[in-house]
Amino acid sequence: MKAKATISAEEDYYAVLGLPSSTTPEEVKRAYRDLARQHHPDVSGGDAETFRKVQEAYEVLHDPVLRQAYDRQRVARGLGREVPLECALTLSAAQLVALDTPQMLYALLDLHPRVPDLKQRLPLNLALVIDRSTSMQGPRIGNVKLAVSNLLEVLLEHDRLAIIAFSDHAEVVAESTPVREIARLRAAVASLTTGGGTEILQGLRAGLEQVRRFADKGTNAHVVVLTDGRTYGDEEACLLEAKHAQSEAIGISTLGIGDDWNDLFLDALARHGGGVCQYISSPAQLQELLLEHIRDLSHVSVNRLTLNVNLPPWVQLQGVFRAAPFMEALGVMPGRAFSLGQVGQESLSLLLELVVHQPDAGERRVARLDFEGIAGEDPITIRRDVNVQFVAEAAGPVEAPGRLLNTLSRLSIFRLQERAWQALERGDVKQATHLLESAATRLFEIGHRELGQVALVEAERVQRGVEPTSRGRKQVRYGTRGLTRG
Amino acid sequence: MTEQVDGIVCPSCQQLNLPGTLFCLQCGTYLPSGGPLRTEQFPDQHLQRAKPRSGDDAQAEQQVLGVEVEILRTHRKVLLSADSEILVGRLDAAHRVFPELDLTSDSGLEHGISRRHARLYTREGKWYIEDLDSTNGTYVNDERLTAYLPYSFDDGDTLTLGTLRLRVNLHVDARESRPW
Ligand SMILES: [Zn+2]
Repeated sequence: MKAKATISAEEDYYAVLGLPSSTTPEEVKRAYRDLARQHHPDVSGGDAETFRKVQEAYEVLHDPVLRQAYDRQRVARGLGREVPLECALTLSAAQLVALDTPQMLYALLDLHPRVPDLKQRLPLNLALVIDRSTSMQGPRIGNVKLAVSNLLEVLLEHDRLAIIAFSDHAEVVAESTPVREIARLRAAVASLTTGGGTEILQGLRAGLEQVRRFADKGTNAHVVVLTDGRTYGDEEACLLEAKHAQSEAIGISTLGIGDDWNDLFLDALARHGGGVCQYISSPAQLQELLLEHIRDLSHVSVNRLTLNVNLPPWVQLQGVFRAAPFMEALGVMPGRAFSLGQVGQESLSLLLELVVHQPDAGERRVARLDFEGIAGEDPITIRRDVNVQFVAEAAGPVEAPGRLLNTLSRLSIFRLQERAWQALERGDVKQATHLLESAATRLFEIGHRELGQVALVEAERVQRGVEPTSRGRKQVRYGTRGLTRG
Repeated sequence: MTEQVDGIVCPSCQQLNLPGTLFCLQCGTYLPSGGPLRTEQFPDQHLQRAKPRSGDDAQAEQQVLGVEVEILRTHRKVLLSADSEILVGRLDAAHRVFPELDLTSDSGLEHGISRRHARLYTREGKWYIEDLDSTNGTYVNDERLTAYLPYSFDDGDTLTLGTLRLRVNLHVDARESRPW
């Protein structure tokens, strides 16, 4: 059996019931019922010893006084280490009317990182892969140099940094170097010049190779790609590299500068690499965003987080979305682990759309959500069950929780504009126009007039049969995906 | 069984949504009320811009190339192109405020920087700063500016936004600079 942070010894009662130490009395009861049924000596596959342990665990944990005493003991024995994520679940309805037809249930899951110990952060093992093509000349490369110089000031001595410059080919400007040798890195930054085209693959490979040399589980390995252009022909190979990298726990993020880069490709590259894609609309923003980005990387609370959604046959997963820190559709399939990348200082929120078809009353588990990840060097697990009471008749109208409505309203705008770009790709101008106009209307409704205006201008262009502007499209895409922030 | 519940017909687009749906899948309408979720306050104030004052010494024929701004507290230096006007403030992607000079990470909020605090631009070889009716004001060498009135500044001048001090260096070679 794998060692888990919350499951460290056989006499860990929480481990016996498969529950986190923050579990509720209802969950204790439910877990006991399931496990007792499963391990009862009278059933086939039952086992008297396991059954006894389950009973013992239940007797202690369902009694508040005993549980409190046990928790104190457990901490004293060093078992009380908490999972570094707190998990809160909000449902659109705690009660549903049992119906002969399918109905919709929304589940919002907030994973809040507990405040990490800043002094104890893992050393960073970074590679910056910098576009040095001709289009980067002037303020762009100037600000890249300033940004990297500033970055050197905030990194710690034992962090490592490699610098790769790429155009039509890649050049390792600085091999992976500990930041304590800051003079060497400074000289490398100063030597950056511009010229040539944009081919990301070679640069990405060189960056990954540098990071791989020093990758071990005691470091946080990450490649950051900065580019202002489009790469042609090597997209698929780049995505494959990103997938490999993620299986080795090396993250990839992308920073797109200006308006000419391929947003769909850089989004995909970051998604495959478990990182983030960010839009840098002006050169001076680069410094902030790079610093902020590296700060997030150095405060990772959970790495290699995966989600597995398990559903009974009468429930279908319509969609799963990341709602915060930024919005994104996630291709989660029931019964299969889906990689969520890392959780930094900001909370991770997920929204699940469940289509429920349950004609009989009673309390039922609609979904079971299992998270696995690495905190520091320890594997962790979190389990959350989504339980709903099905009733024969509605008790009266119930308003969904405000926080859920707020998230859903923003998510619906994000989806409208994403669908608009997809419709445009298919050549469905009418649908694309309509979706962009709807997105603009919703943006006006929630008070985002300027962003709504941009969407409206693009809708008018699309309707006239003109390509949307690359700036407008990026403003709408990256502006709406940030709507749930702050 | 009384009546068969098939779903909710969207009042805006007639799409049939499953019971329990909160926002129409097709058009995003909030279904329980059939209209907007609620009216929120508009986050952006519409800005009326004053015409730049043409200074007496506007005949200065020297070519303006770019500006380097140093944030004195953090010693952070930012190189900015003179090609288009420079918005100074705090980044707020959600409200689509993307300042060219973003002071968020220089403790902008604590120093009273507004999201749209001021703008910098060049006219006929001179640099101007204009306060955008910021909450805590803008100063050139400790002289407070009137909102929406352009003031010129020179190399080495100190610009104070809220309580954050910036020094400008105009001898920056950004000849290669192109519109961002
Ligand atoms: Zn509709």
